[in-house]
Amino acid sequence: MTATNSDQLHGTLDMLVLKVLDNRPLHGYAIAARLERMSNDVLSVEEGSLYPALYRMEQRGWLASSWAVTDTGRRARFYKLTKTGRAQLKSETASWVRLTTAVADVLNG
Amino acid sequence: MTAIRIAIARMRALVRRDAITDEIREELNFHVEMRADEYAQNGLDPHAARQAALRRFGNVAVIQDRGYDIRGGGVIETMVQDAKYGVRQLAQRPSFSIVAILTLALGIGVSTALFSVIDAALLRPLPYPHPEELVTIDVKETSKSGESGQYAPSMADIRRWRALTTIIAHAGMGRVSGFMPLIVETGTAQRLTVAEASEDFLETYGIMPILGRGIQPDDTREGAPAAALLGHAFWQREFGGDRDVLGRSIRIQNKPATIVGVLPAGFYNDTAVWQAKQFSGAFLEMRGSGTPVIARLRPGVTLAQARSALDTVTPAGRVIGPAQAPARVVMESMYDDETSQFGATIRTLSIAVTFILLIACVNVAALTLARGATRDVEMAIRTAIGAGRGRLIRQLLTESVLLAAAGALVGVLLAYGSLDSLVAVIPLSLPPNSPVTLNATVLGLSLALTAVTALIFGLVPALKLSRAPSTISSMLAVGGRSGAPLSRRAGQWLIAIEVTLALVLMAGSGLILRSFAKLVSVDLGFDTANVLTLEVEPLDQAPAARREYYTSLADALRRLPEVAAAGAIDRLALDGGATYWFPEADTGAHFEGPQRTVLPGYFEAMGVRPLAGRLPEDADRLTGEAVVVNATASEKYFGGNALGHIVRIDFKPPRQFRIVGVVPNLRHGGPQSRVEPEMYILPNPNPGDTSPVTLAMVMRLRDRASLSIDRLKQAAAAVSPRVLVGRIRPAAALLSHQVAEPRHRMLLLTLLGAFGLLLTLVGIFSMTAYAVARRTREIGVRVAFGARPAQVVGVVVRDSAWPVAFGLIAGLGGTYYTTRVIKSFLFQVEPHDPTTLVAVVAVLGCAACVAAWLPARRAATIDPVTALRAD
Repeated sequence: MTATNSDQLHGTLDMLVLKVLDNRPLHGYAIAARLERMSNDVLSVEEGSLYPALYRMEQRGWLASSWAVTDTGRRARFYKLTKTGRAQLKSETASWVRLTTAVADVLNG
Repeated sequence: MTAIRIAIARMRALVRRDAITDEIREELNFHVEMRADEYAQNGLDPHAARQAALRRFGNVAVIQDRGYDIRGGGVIETMVQDAKYGVRQLAQRPSFSIVAILTLALGIGVSTALFSVIDAALLRPLPYPHPEELVTIDVKETSKSGESGQYAPSMADIRRWRALTTIIAHAGMGRVSGFMPLIVETGTAQRLTVAEASEDFLETYGIMPILGRGIQPDDTREGAPAAALLGHAFWQREFGGDRDVLGRSIRIQNKPATIVGVLPAGFYNDTAVWQAKQFSGAFLEMRGSGTPVIARLRPGVTLAQARSALDTVTPAGRVIGPAQAPARVVMESMYDDETSQFGATIRTLSIAVTFILLIACVNVAALTLARGATRDVEMAIRTAIGAGRGRLIRQLLTESVLLAAAGALVGVLLAYGSLDSLVAVIPLSLPPNSPVTLNATVLGLSLALTAVTALIFGLVPALKLSRAPSTISSMLAVGGRSGAPLSRRAGQWLIAIEVTLALVLMAGSGLILRSFAKLVSVDLGFDTANVLTLEVEPLDQAPAARREYYTSLADALRRLPEVAAAGAIDRLALDGGATYWFPEADTGAHFEGPQRTVLPGYFEAMGVRPLAGRLPEDADRLTGEAVVVNATASEKYFGGNALGHIVRIDFKPPRQFRIVGVVPNLRHGGPQSRVEPEMYILPNPNPGDTSPVTLAMVMRLRDRASLSIDRLKQAAAAVSPRVLVGRIRPAAALLSHQVAEPRHRMLLLTLLGAFGLLLTLVGIFSMTAYAVARRTREIGVRVAFGARPAQVVGVVVRDSAWPVAFGLIAGLGGTYYTTRVIKSFLFQVEPHDPTTLVAVVAVLGCAACVAAWLPARRAATIDPVTALRAD
């Protein structure tokens, strides 16, 4: 796998995570479950690789996290979108749309 | 393979026990449990559900580790961990670690030691409060005829300036060195350094007596009772630190003086007594006494401001006749003055030390890389288990910092242990009052140095090594040999840099060595072997009695069975100084060289034979008329035939001399001294002559004879009991003292050059060893295809020889710029002396090839089968 592909995958995963968190804070398992529903491909290899991605985004300041108790009474770590994260989601969505439009244009000839 | 990965990750997870690890573990565990719950609800039994959840999740340990790396862990935890890991790594390869630490210790130790010297010499040259406020002052006068001269100000000048209270805080006149030691009697008589000072001189330095009072204006009046302050060391030594010394009397040059105070320790330790300088009415306004004047400016006053303010109250002078223009004040900062004299030496040492340190860095970088050749697998495994490149670099840098820290520790200990011997050989006349110590500044500097060193030698290998193959499978597949953390080219660059630095360093050492060899092989004209000198003088100051004493002592010494010849001279050879009376010859020529007073027997004692005529004899003492001149004087003033010529000296009354012999040129001032036309005269036999006479006895011992100090003292006292016996020294010791500074410089720079060479050889050795390790397979192939061992060795050596050759050429270019710095230290050797440079290139080139050849031999022993099958 070349670096570009890997970056693209990262980027895609990041965008999806940001999108999932756009509405409300979620813990890792819930994010995984939502992503699963949205797309089977991205996380089909290893579910666990979601976590390094979450940590990376938190380090970049896109996400903030805190511990809270779930509906079932378990302690879990919840992630929510920061201001920067929201801006990032906006710009990634925009560029994604640009890219897909361009690709679609090419494919549609 | 997966099993290895997991095992390693588990192990690491075990090691990492901190808050972040726990947090990550809890979070991941939560995820797995939720998933397992989901599967359980779908009908799986709990165990199977958990297994399925784990499978789906992936490798928990690896993810946990990656997560930890991303979140950076606790910075401290990571550092501690890296450090622990680093220590284990270093301990696993003790030979590498020891060589690296010693290399760094050498570099850091040498620089720390020299920094402390430089610190003492440059940064704290004046151990007084606010040294930047201290200035020296002269007055420049211009006469009607346009001549101008610079003179020491008069005491009246100083007092006028001191009235400018907004400019001048303190000002005084004093002389702390540069005169003949005086005889001080405190019961016994000794020759000691006695300083003289006006009022406010010590106060200018900021020095206050610890007992009694300082020098007051009243003490400087002509005829005032002589006041003396004791130096601290002298007070301790002579009076046992007795606080009741105040008011007691000592004799200085046979005149009584009253002790009025004691100075603090550390202020001019070598000065025993400070006397109040006295000024008669006429002397009060006299400029040009030669006694230096210092002042302390008010804080914030600039030199220029002070100069122009002082100018306005400084009257025109008449030292060199009626003045044409107002006198001008010449003011210099004492700080600048003190530091400028060390310039060349400090520059030389700094350059040498920097080079040593750089070589040490390159060397350790090379060692680290060479060791890294065997660490690709480790790097690959670490990458595989999720360590990012940044993480690897941090780990490798931590190891470098550990090495540097250990090196610094050993180095500072080395520096501490060697400081005294270093100060003893440092070719600087350090300020008398600033002891060389490893102080906070110096330690801070070596700490900074260590950090920089660690970065320099750690960064290159860290960047290279962390670029190892990213997957363990590719790594293991090629048997841990394919990774080339250091390209051949980069290794060659390191060698070239080392050789360049070493060559420049060694060229400096070589030039200094050669120059020293020339210095000590200079023909002095006399022979110091078996010659003893004895400084002695009667306490009786009457000239006639003193002359009589020396004559009798010379006779007495000659009667000793051990003595082959004995004479005397006014200034000992190699001990400096001479007297100039400007005699006039019967040819009308005026002598420009010095005249030396000798007693017959002096030349015999020094092993000198006449070139023409004869030497002075005992019979000549009666008239004192016979003199000898040296070859230069004979050539210059008498066309090479000086015998029989008459020479006059304008004493009162004048004396007339007849030249009875010509002696070879004697370099009394040592090997570096100029040869001047000299004349050797005998003391005036006229009983009415009042010129003071102080001679030093010189005797040649018979072969294998020795004479104890006690016997000499007895002999000196037997002639007259009231004598002061001074130093008794072999002439050879005087000679070695004369060349002490060049010798110390030679020793120091040779040592530094040798360090540089040693480090460079270690570097080339380890780089070549690394190259062999890296090219095992290639060499195996060559051998398999029939390459002979010699060819294989040749290939490896050639790879190191090219950068050596390049470094030699670059180094030669470098010497062009650097050897200029030591130009002032060279004696009869040019900064680009071809002989030295060729020798240095040859030595370094050969040694470098040997250093490359030793590990290269190992290449010849590589068994192609093993090499090709390796993993």
